[in-house]
Amino acid sequence: MIDFSRVQKELQECSRDMEASGIKVTPVSDNLVNLSGTIPGPIGTPYEGGIFKIDITLPDGYPFEPPKMHFVTKVWHPNVSSQSGAICLDILKDQWSPALTLKTALLSVQALLSAPEPDDPQDAVVAQQYLRDYQTFLGTARYWTETFAKTSSLGVEEKVQKLVEMGFPEALVRSSLEAVGGDENLALEKLCSG
Amino acid sequence: MMGDHGNSEDEYVYVSDDDDDISGVDDCDDDYEADDYDDNRDEFQAVDVSIVTGPSSKVITKESLLAAQREDLVRIMDLLSVKEHHARALLIHYSWDVEKVLAVLVEHGNDELFAAAGVKVVEHDDGPSSLQFSSTVSCNICYDDVSATEVTTMDCSHCFCNDCWTNHFIVKINEGQSRSITCMAHKCGAICDEAKIRCLVGARDSDLAEKFDRFLLESYIEDNKRVKWCPSVPHCGNAIRIEVDELCEVECACGLQFCFGCSSEAHSPCSCLMWKLWSKKCQDESMTANWITVHTKPCPSCHKPVEKNGGCNLVRCICKRTFCWHCGGQTHDFYGCGRYKDKDVEMDTQSAKRDLERYMHYYNRYKAHTDSFKLERKMKKTMHNKINKLYESDTSSKDFSWITNGLNRLFRSRRILSYSYPFAFYMFGNQLFKEDRKKKKQRYEEEEEGEEGEKKKKRQKYEEEKKKNKQLEDDMKKERTIKQDLFEDQQQQFEANVEKLSMYLEEKFESYSEDKFKDWKMRTIALSVTTDNLGRNLYEFIETDLLGCFKDADHKIAPYKSKGVEKASEHHSSLGI
Repeated sequence: MIDFSRVQKELQECSRDMEASGIKVTPVSDNLVNLSGTIPGPIGTPYEGGIFKIDITLPDGYPFEPPKMHFVTKVWHPNVSSQSGAICLDILKDQWSPALTLKTALLSVQALLSAPEPDDPQDAVVAQQYLRDYQTFLGTARYWTETFAKTSSLGVEEKVQKLVEMGFPEALVRSSLEAVGGDENLALEKLCSG
Repeated sequence: MMGDHGNSEDEYVYVSDDDDDISGVDDCDDDYEADDYDDNRDEFQAVDVSIVTGPSSKVITKESLLAAQREDLVRIMDLLSVKEHHARALLIHYSWDVEKVLAVLVEHGNDELFAAAGVKVVEHDDGPSSLQFSSTVSCNICYDDVSATEVTTMDCSHCFCNDCWTNHFIVKINEGQSRSITCMAHKCGAICDEAKIRCLVGARDSDLAEKFDRFLLESYIEDNKRVKWCPSVPHCGNAIRIEVDELCEVECACGLQFCFGCSSEAHSPCSCLMWKLWSKKCQDESMTANWITVHTKPCPSCHKPVEKNGGCNLVRCICKRTFCWHCGGQTHDFYGCGRYKDKDVEMDTQSAKRDLERYMHYYNRYKAHTDSFKLERKMKKTMHNKINKLYESDTSSKDFSWITNGLNRLFRSRRILSYSYPFAFYMFGNQLFKEDRKKKKQRYEEEEEGEEGEKKKKRQKYEEEKKKNKQLEDDMKKERTIKQDLFEDQQQQFEANVEKLSMYLEEKFESYSEDKFKDWKMRTIALSVTTDNLGRNLYEFIETDLLGCFKDADHKIAPYKSKGVEKASEHHSSLGI
């Protein structure tokens, strides 16, 4: 019952002004149910310079029911779970309106990054830090952006080399890198956890 | 005077005033006449009491629900000159409280009242006509171009295609939000026109449209503080609307009597909270379980609870296993397992036993009266037969309503009596009112602190405070004991009269000679009036002297009704629908 023609149009519209908004939505599977969005970290925030990947699943009733979204990239933010990436945003819940689109929803998520609401938190630990020790919060958020949200400028071969130098077998390094989509930090995490 | 059963109209006016003290024998007869609550009311009673007192509750059946709801809608429509769907949106938002709507209107004005409920009133009605100039319109939801005839504009002037509207409505109805379906536009909180919803949804799914209508209709019951479903099982389909006080006990047309506050059986003079605690307590017999855990120990071999009945701590279970009472282990060197704990266990045991004994005291009496009530209910039929026999026999008076009335008074006095025991259990126990007693103590302390101005040596002050504290506690305990004594005096007096009334009514009066019958009649009527007065006094004492002390506590009870729980009258629409 998903209105696929609308989703198609939304994707077209989104790619048309990608340059201006910086927001990208691409289908993951052919059926247009699972999509992937990316938003740039807002300028002047600890998320600046990072590219944040968001997983989108369209429910049966879309656009009359809100799309399900969560961060794939780890984010240190009061309204985003540092564990699961779940987002606490009213328009993704009861304030959803069919007149909103994937692009406007992602823009709202981006706005949430610049204006956290620690009084209505998703992650209590982060929210507490935000309220009690703002400087530490900024530091952690910036560090997480550096670590998880920035694509390394290194090429694949250089990444492999780097990890092999750390003492991991090359075959395992390659398969790990492939599994996490080329992110060397995530690959390292995977290698370390065995 | 006793045989005078004439002008019942006048007597009604007199009796309708419940607070009036009825003291004389003459009056009692009058009071008797007016007593009405009875299944045989057609036979024994001429005038409906509600005519004088005004109905305090009404039955709303499936059929009258529509009319009852319409009454409130029409009131709002007339007062604010709005359309029906606007009136409904307003009333749903303000929980069907017409007074509240008017209060908001006076305080904040039209605009704010409407905005809060998501009501947009359009004065111009040229929405569709302006669109007819262009043949197609682009819908902002599906991004398709649709014919101008295929779109709908809501009161908020947002316009989308019919297909999208319908999908939106279906999702909202299935989510259970029929009562507040808002416009699709972002941040537009306007409530959609119910007629348009009905029309669009009905075109695709008529069952769902019916469901939508039912949801709207039932909002009148579910969102309304003054209306409640009758809790009968299986459900009789009725709801009860109260007109005056939320604190009352009502009788549905199906015959079920229930407390309007908590929807459980009528339980005054217990408060809703007391009744909830009591029924739970009786249900799981938590006290017994508690006593068993403290007073017995499981045998380490067969796991049956074992009670110690001798002095020796080396206990032998019926399964022949011996074990140490202190630590519960099947051991021989039990002398090493801590005599210190022995003391604690003993204290727990004693207090648990005391608690259980207290509970059993109240429970047994509560149960005894409830059982008596059940047995006495059976008397109703035999009494009916007896009265019929009297009718046929050759007596001077043909009015025997006072017999059935006496019986009914017995029923409700018996109920009050049985519920007065759980009430006393909580009222004079330590479980409830702990916080309230603390607050009361604080109040006393604050009052006294003001008088104390001079500086004293710290030590002296401390000791004095301690002394004062003890004094205060003693005083409060004393006050409590006095009140308990007073309550119990009244309760016992009431009980004695109820038993006597029960005895009188069980007499074989149908075979009495005329003189003896007259004597019996006098006795019965006098006693039933005394019982009524005692019952009223008991309630008064509970309300003012016992519960009245704890203003903060949520322990209000339904007021005493001389005529018993009032039967809710049928709802008749004033609109003639």
